[in-house]
Amino acid sequence: MSATVTAPAGGPAPGTTAGSTPVQNVTFWRVLRSEWIKLWTLRSTWWTLASTVVVIVGFALMMALIVQLVGNEMEGAAPEDQAAMGGMLGGTMVVSAGFEMAALVVAVLGALMITGEYSTGMIRSTFAAVPGRLSAFFGKAVVLALVTAVLITVSLALSWLVTYPLLNSNDATVDFGDSAQVRSLFGTVLYVVLVALFALGLGALLRHTAGAIFTVVAIFLVIPTIVQIATFAASQLEWVGTVNKLLPSVAGAQITPNAGAFPDVLDPWVGISVLAGYTVLVLAGAAARLKLQDA
Amino acid sequence: MIEARGLTKRYGSKTAVDGVTFTVQPGQVTGFLGPNGAGKSTTMRMIVGLDRPTAGTVTVNGKPYAAHRRPLAEVGALLDAKAVHTGRTARNHLLAMAATHGIPTKRVDEVIELTGLRPVATKRVGGFSLGMGQRLGIAAALLGDPRTLILDEPVNGLDPEGVLWVRNIAKYLASEGRTVFLSSHLMSEVALTADHVLVIGKGRILADAPVSEIVDGAERKLVRVRSPQATELAELLKAQDAQVDGVEPGLLEVRGSTAAAVGELAALSRIVLHELTPVASTLEEAYMSLTADSVEYQSEGIAGHAGTQSDLEGSKA
Repeated sequence: MSATVTAPAGGPAPGTTAGSTPVQNVTFWRVLRSEWIKLWTLRSTWWTLASTVVVIVGFALMMALIVQLVGNEMEGAAPEDQAAMGGMLGGTMVVSAGFEMAALVVAVLGALMITGEYSTGMIRSTFAAVPGRLSAFFGKAVVLALVTAVLITVSLALSWLVTYPLLNSNDATVDFGDSAQVRSLFGTVLYVVLVALFALGLGALLRHTAGAIFTVVAIFLVIPTIVQIATFAASQLEWVGTVNKLLPSVAGAQITPNAGAFPDVLDPWVGISVLAGYTVLVLAGAAARLKLQDA
Repeated sequence: MIEARGLTKRYGSKTAVDGVTFTVQPGQVTGFLGPNGAGKSTTMRMIVGLDRPTAGTVTVNGKPYAAHRRPLAEVGALLDAKAVHTGRTARNHLLAMAATHGIPTKRVDEVIELTGLRPVATKRVGGFSLGMGQRLGIAAALLGDPRTLILDEPVNGLDPEGVLWVRNIAKYLASEGRTVFLSSHLMSEVALTADHVLVIGKGRILADAPVSEIVDGAERKLVRVRSPQATELAELLKAQDAQVDGVEPGLLEVRGSTAAAVGELAALSRIVLHELTPVASTLEEAYMSLTADSVEYQSEGIAGHAGTQSDLEGSKA
């Protein structure tokens, strides 16, 4: 006990606790406010959010430089070849190039929101205040989804801004009049939000930070890489292609500008629904474990 | 008021709490006394719904904890000092807790002041000593101005001034008509703070009575007698319904008699006495004898000595 902390030795001053404190019912709105405060009062939040912006803008700049290089190379080539190139490396693709890495960073934030409470014991304070438990969990989910959506939207806007000069000189800017392009950017936001929620659910299921992050990386990075090698190495095997197109990352990415080139893929909206389905499953499993097991 | 009926908690084949039934009344401090591993914490966690009972029920102010619309106004619980995110400051932790019940910032600053946390309120909890963590836990428990307080080992890690402060605040809150339920593994602590005591051992309630009654009932009067004719004296004492234990050759411990009676009997029988000492057992011994069969982690020799245990407690602070 530090000497600087001194207690009133005679006990509390009279009247300080005597029924004068306004205490309201617990509502979902109040739980949301609590989760909002919790999110912004941790340094890890600021670190992960800053990293996400850096990843998205950094990847976009890198891709914009590649567009510039390719543009220089193709100086004097036939106009139809140049047009084809612009289609391959379009503005939306450049702006959102880092979305998969960004999703993994936001996944760390999502997992930490709940595993950080288990590892420190905070979860007991949380559930003592909100004994229904589910509203605390879904409060976290809503805050996470909201913050991620705004974060990714802002990051994409920043990417667009910093790459605009390079892309403009190569006729590869985002065309906001093209509904397909706007949809693909909206889809990028949606994809990252779903991955973040997926990680939150895994965190609540596993109650372990490293375990949850490792599992997210395995599902969204390691397993897809292995399956994709298999699709090229054994393209005659139909089931490999089926597995590939149903992977959370591959299915979900179809709506984004960076879907990857596979012979067999789902329709963008079907794909993102498949990812949403996986996320709902994980969240439901997490909710069941929260509700039924001891904290 | 806290009412437990047949409350049971099993972890696999191990029974932590074994069908306990008790009522904790408002307006007094109720001590919850038992050795480590006796089931105190598990019982307290079940009261606030963190652990699900395997069987039985427990209600707080007439309802299960989770059925209350404003749980923090019903029960303030200090379950363990480390139920706080280490990366958050003390004040932010309290603000986040307060937000769930719409408790104003003014109240947060009030409990910070009340618990003497002001100098460290804006420091991150990770760097807190055990004592500061304990104060923060008590601050969180007081946040909703609750009718019932549950404090699990509240003086653990506190310096003497902090211990005194916890005793005073527990008594003060009870005097306001609140229910105060406070656990400890130290009989002396409970004797100083509580009006009523529940003794638990191996998951069962061993005693449920006013503190004074437990102390009187368990306090065994003992007379130590040293005599070269110990065997002869023992026979005579036994004939008078006294309980006699031979501690070592020539030394007896006599219960159910007094020093005067033993002395007179010896004189009458012409038995030589080398020592005749009345020994009053301590509270700690009374508690030890009550829980002797139900200690989960039995230690050998010195560690069983009550003084040693409190010394260890003290040095942690």
